[in-house]
Amino acid sequence: MVSIDAITAIANKELTDRLRSRWVLVIAITFALFTLAISYFGSAPSGMAGFRRLDATLASLTSLVTYFIPILALTLGAGIIIDERDRGTLDLFLSSPISFIDFLLGKFAGLVAAFTVSTIAGLGISGIIIIINTGIGAMKGYLIFMVNSILFGLTFLSLSFLISVIFEERSRVIAFTIFLWLFLAILYDLGLVGLLIVTKGGLGDLLFSILLLMNPVDIYRILNFLSLGESTVFLGLASVEFPGLMKAPLLWAISFVWVVLPMMASYYLFRRRYLK
Amino acid sequence: MLRVEDVSKNYNGIRALNSISFTIKKGETLGLVGPNGSGKSTLLKIIAGILRPSSGRVLMDDKELSEKDWIAYKGRIGYMPERVSFYDNLTGKETLRLFARLKGLKSFDLKILSGIISEEILNRRVGGYSKGMKQRLNLCQALLGDPDILILDEPTSGLDPVGTKEFYDIIASLKEKRPITIILSSHVLAEIEERVDRVAIIKDGSLKAIGGLSELYTGLNLPFKLSILPVSSLNGSLVDILKNEGAVEVTRRDNYIIATIAREDKMKILSLLMQKRDYFVDLTVIEPSLEEVFFGIH
Repeated sequence: MVSIDAITAIANKELTDRLRSRWVLVIAITFALFTLAISYFGSAPSGMAGFRRLDATLASLTSLVTYFIPILALTLGAGIIIDERDRGTLDLFLSSPISFIDFLLGKFAGLVAAFTVSTIAGLGISGIIIIINTGIGAMKGYLIFMVNSILFGLTFLSLSFLISVIFEERSRVIAFTIFLWLFLAILYDLGLVGLLIVTKGGLGDLLFSILLLMNPVDIYRILNFLSLGESTVFLGLASVEFPGLMKAPLLWAISFVWVVLPMMASYYLFRRRYLK
Repeated sequence: MLRVEDVSKNYNGIRALNSISFTIKKGETLGLVGPNGSGKSTLLKIIAGILRPSSGRVLMDDKELSEKDWIAYKGRIGYMPERVSFYDNLTGKETLRLFARLKGLKSFDLKILSGIISEEILNRRVGGYSKGMKQRLNLCQALLGDPDILILDEPTSGLDPVGTKEFYDIIASLKEKRPITIILSSHVLAEIEERVDRVAIIKDGSLKAIGGLSELYTGLNLPFKLSILPVSSLNGSLVDILKNEGAVEVTRRDNYIIATIAREDKMKILSLLMQKRDYFVDLTVIEPSLEEVFFGIH
């Protein structure tokens, strides 16, 4: 049975901790600065500066976020079990009359809150500035971008929990976190493009769709490009047409699965470690 | 009240605990002693419900605990781990509020805890606490909700002698107020010797002995000591008598004769000395310390 009070108490503690350590503030400011910089100087290579139309900016923002948010979310959550264990507080939680689910959901909810607050603050501030300079028409697209970015972050937060449960040593947590980020943000797409080249584009829509859906970074990219009415997406350095199967409701549903499945796996592994 | 039955625990092929069984009565204080790595903390964590045994079981009020029961059972215990640094960015009060909510408490009475840690300190962030303050906070969180069973893992670790005394004074005053069952572990034998009802000695994951101190040294047939202040002119005669009657060792310390006597000779020697009352001014029987019991087992 789930205890809402326990989950709320733990989540509240996590959020308070992040707020007081200024993590939320630093991330919000970083988001805002990066977003504004890309929005204003994104055309610098072609000798121009200034705020552009949102569709022109969003491709650059998507690239920024695909590198920034995964490493941010992974590092936020990957040490969650080890940190509690090293502090001695993990045993306090486990000796309290709460279930494993309460503990994991409470921790997750707290980090989701911290991440969401910092993302909304950072992207929100820059979004207001962009919209003021480019027109109200950009608002809907930017809001969809923000929602996609938050969902994207939750995926990696969920993966970070799984990492924190699997690995008991801090050095392994760090190493695997970096590896996972590199793999999903860069190497996977290089491999996918390579596969397309080798098969001369003959993968087939279904297989290609499945391969894209297996990487939350690609799901996020496609969602953003779809919102702009695009049918191509950057995989690594190559622009590739994505299959017609890729619709927003499917992508959101798969994103949700990407959040839920790692958390479920975390729960079962964590429970097994302490109940065996 | 609490029964541990044939509890064993394996970690990655290593046997951390080996078929441990004992019972603790309500209101009793049980001391768990043993060297580092003997399995004390593992056993305490099993009793606290943090870990499950690989085999065996823990029974509360003669009832084996199901998974659901464990959660209810944990509401009745207070667990104090050996080392907790808590959260630097939270105040002591916020920390206690967190763990109070986890125990299902809407609020907690600061007055009960004021003898342990002041409200002024509780209003400060834990990051600024000394080690002693953190240990007090640790004890406070264990006491939230008036637990029936208090499980203390090396509770005075890192405390200075003053802090140690104050800690045990707090425990003693708690026991005066209500019959709380306490299980505490320590590797500082002298510290818990006078403060527990029974001692359980653990070595290499096995329970070597359990009982009151007198039960243990009697059961182990350990020698005891006599401290005798002799009449000065009869000093040498008394030494000869003790040696002739089979004293294991006779030494002098200041003006006293210290004789080590085998347990089976206790009645004989004491009877003899009662007949030789003129030979000494003062006589004290010194039973083995917990440390001597501990090394007697090892």
